[in-house]
Amino acid sequence: MAKIFSETGMASLKTFIIARVLALIPTMLILVTLVFFVMRVLPGDPVIAIVGMRAPAERVIELKKKLGLLDEAGNPVPLPIQYLNYLSRLVRGDFGRSLIWGKRPVLVEIMEHFPATVELAIAGFIVSIILGLVLGSLGGWMGGKTSSAVKTYGAITYALFIPWIGMLFQLFFAVWLGVLPVAGRIDTGLEPPTITGLYLIDSVITGRWDSFMSALRHIMLPAITLGLVISGVFTRVTRTSVEEVMRQDFVVAARARGIPEHKILIHVLKNSFVPILTMMGLQLALLMTGAVLTETTFSWPGMGTFLLERIQYRDYTTVQGTVVFFAIIVSLVNLIVDICYAYIDPRIRY
Amino acid sequence: MAEPLLDVRNLKTYYFTESGVVKAVNDVTLSIRRGELLGLVGESGSGKSTLGFSIIRLVPPPGKIIDGSVFLDNIDLMKLSEKELRKIRGRRIGMIFQDPLTCLDPLRRIEDQMVETVMVHMDVERDEAREMAAEALERVGISGDRLKDYPHQLSGGMRQRAMIAMATMLHPELLIADEPTTALDVIVQSKIMDLLEDLKESMKMSILLITHDLALVIERADRVAVMYAGELCEVGTSEQISEDPLHPYTKLLLESIPDVEAPKTKLKSIPGNPPDMRNPPSGCKFWPRCPYAEDICRQMPPKFAELNGRIVRCHLYREGERG
Amino acid sequence: MVKLVPKVRLKGLTLAGTIMVLFTVFLAVLAPILTPYDPTKSVDLSLQPPSWKHPFGTNKVGQDMWSRTVYGARTILAVVFLSTIVSIMIGVPLGLISGYVGGILDRVLAMIMDAMYAFPGLILAIAIAAAMGPGIINTAVSIAIVYVPTYFRMVRGQTLSIKEQLYVEAARAIGAKPLTILTRYVFPNVVSVIAVVFTLSVADVVLTEAALSFFGLSVPAPTPDWGFDLKAGHPYLLSGYWWLITFPGLMIMILAVGFTFIGEGVAEYLGAREVKI
Repeated sequence: MAKIFSETGMASLKTFIIARVLALIPTMLILVTLVFFVMRVLPGDPVIAIVGMRAPAERVIELKKKLGLLDEAGNPVPLPIQYLNYLSRLVRGDFGRSLIWGKRPVLVEIMEHFPATVELAIAGFIVSIILGLVLGSLGGWMGGKTSSAVKTYGAITYALFIPWIGMLFQLFFAVWLGVLPVAGRIDTGLEPPTITGLYLIDSVITGRWDSFMSALRHIMLPAITLGLVISGVFTRVTRTSVEEVMRQDFVVAARARGIPEHKILIHVLKNSFVPILTMMGLQLALLMTGAVLTETTFSWPGMGTFLLERIQYRDYTTVQGTVVFFAIIVSLVNLIVDICYAYIDPRIRY
Repeated sequence: MAEPLLDVRNLKTYYFTESGVVKAVNDVTLSIRRGELLGLVGESGSGKSTLGFSIIRLVPPPGKIIDGSVFLDNIDLMKLSEKELRKIRGRRIGMIFQDPLTCLDPLRRIEDQMVETVMVHMDVERDEAREMAAEALERVGISGDRLKDYPHQLSGGMRQRAMIAMATMLHPELLIADEPTTALDVIVQSKIMDLLEDLKESMKMSILLITHDLALVIERADRVAVMYAGELCEVGTSEQISEDPLHPYTKLLLESIPDVEAPKTKLKSIPGNPPDMRNPPSGCKFWPRCPYAEDICRQMPPKFAELNGRIVRCHLYREGERG
Repeated sequence: MVKLVPKVRLKGLTLAGTIMVLFTVFLAVLAPILTPYDPTKSVDLSLQPPSWKHPFGTNKVGQDMWSRTVYGARTILAVVFLSTIVSIMIGVPLGLISGYVGGILDRVLAMIMDAMYAFPGLILAIAIAAAMGPGIINTAVSIAIVYVPTYFRMVRGQTLSIKEQLYVEAARAIGAKPLTILTRYVFPNVVSVIAVVFTLSVADVVLTEAALSFFGLSVPAPTPDWGFDLKAGHPYLLSGYWWLITFPGLMIMILAVGFTFIGEGVAEYLGAREVKI
């Protein structure tokens, strides 16, 4: 630990951070361009898709102006200029406006739905870590048949289709047993005052226990569904990490001194931790994908539901803005995670 | 002769691998007397380490102890439960290994690891355990204030001493040393062996020294046992083995020891390669490399013969006579 | 597959996986024989529970769920097959060229592919599918684009390491043209990598297609599609109509898990080979 705070240690951390932040720019540029390409170039004619073939000419022109295909005077805007306009607006934080409810900026609408997704993602993440650590350690430590069973568990959970698993849970717990709510985030009227936007935290802070219980009951099935499916990766990494540490000599040496198995296990776990941590950060993409699927199954009012709803309405500008937002969030979180790793493990900085 | 401390009888430990069964320890009978240093010598793959691990039943999978008994006093270690065996490990039998760096938990201080050992076996307060740990370190020549160090902060020789301290701090009757000096340079090697001899005298402890270095064993051991391909070849005192080796393998091993004073000649090595243990030769396993091999060697495994208080297993010798 | 790779004994999970996948293929191929009804037409009263007449019941529109489930195998296998071919056709040549030529082209391409690879695949697929509209080809293309970086990276990596090897140096010394080198030396080594990438990623492709059709972004309405049926049957769950979602979902799981088991078997086989070498 002392090494990290030495002069050279900090200097290399700083250079690492600067290098990664600089690298972020081309990555985000690529993604943002990709989204532009997909949303502008690919569709046959988005306008027709929105208003249909027999729309009056004024409607078409009005829409084209909104989409940036025509400028104020009604002249066609060349594609490169469209691209530059798009970039310049993004840099200013302008994600466009909804085609349908044009008054509010897309960014504002996104931010209304963002906390719900964050809350679900964190809850699912926690569930997956618990499952992964417990099952993985068990499999790695006991070896043999337990290890194979854990391996199989990992393989199966990865391949589960989230909506189906979610529906089975709904069927079993909500419909047949009736102990948990089927969908939604909280019972209407029990929303706590908004501080962080995360109901569970806000209700605890403001001491509203009825809100807390309602939020907790609603988040259980979605979090378990999401956590279950994501836990496969953690289980595998924990199991291999523990297995490897178990093979190390100090385990045999400790046994040779008569140290009981359960004490040895604790030391094994401590030694296994680093690769597990490494894996955690790489799961962001999987988590986002899972969150989107979970939200739609449980009518969870997050970004996933929002995105799909706007797709149904063919609200292309909002869809574009939302996907760009995803890209930015993913890039930023990856950056933060990478920096955290470099802080913990000095070897990564080079 | 007094009762032996450790009596290994007909021990069989096999490894069940995917490509075949390896008979790493194939019907070995050996005894270790109190206060003696027995050197167990063999090439890699001879099964000597496996024998060491088998005594305290720490053979890693896919290995399994199939048959045999190991008597410590009158207790058959093979028949004890895990819980009972754990009381013996570290307390009555200690073990040290080749690479002290990997044998110590890198995340914990020396002190914690030593104290843990004490408290698992004895009902003492933590402070008393810490004192015992400091004492044990001093006994091996390390200052007590290194207790708070982490393993990577000690030099190679010191780590090995720390491991010896940990393994002997509860005054075991037997210390199994698996290649303890192989990873060390010659000078440190000599010091460590001196230490082990000291401990043997002062604690009246027997030592089973497992190594491939015959010269080391002849120099330091009271008795020597030579192993090849999972079986014992010859057992005798170190004088007998060095001056009058009986088994052809022992003879070849002796000849291959480089002599510093001899004129510069080519280094002699034993011709041929160690056998593939999944498919070993028939009869006497050494016959493909043996200069004295005859037909009978290929057909039948030899029996043990006793000669002047020594044991040798070769068709050249029969009970009481030389071939 | 078994012929290409000698001495492969299918055991345990891999065997189970192969059976599961083959079962699905079997359903797809023999669909007309196995089903008494047209899956796109309403043939009976809606929301009938499973019975002798309709082993999987009927849905809201009165379609026979058994027929829809069996024919759904065709849809999903078609999309998976098509998208894999497109991914390979784009990703592999790009990887080969990028790896072999190197330089700025390689760095730019690699950067683009890395950015795409790090981005959540499903969201990208959703964006593309939404933009392109429904249809088997469009869906296949959307999914294909998402997996191009995967094939690209593996092929590029393999190409880079082969490039270092002596026999390529030797070939170049003889004066062989780059195209010859690529086709005769690099490509054969790359084929095995492609097969590996395929087995490891195909389960993902299945799940992505299921997700897209769940969101209504895949094939249009009457075409039997497991994801679509899941979505359609979801609202009726509350009223206890369990058969609408159970069977399509089960099939998705069988296909995805089957491919995953095969993938695990392949990974273990390769791991074992590495150790022996």
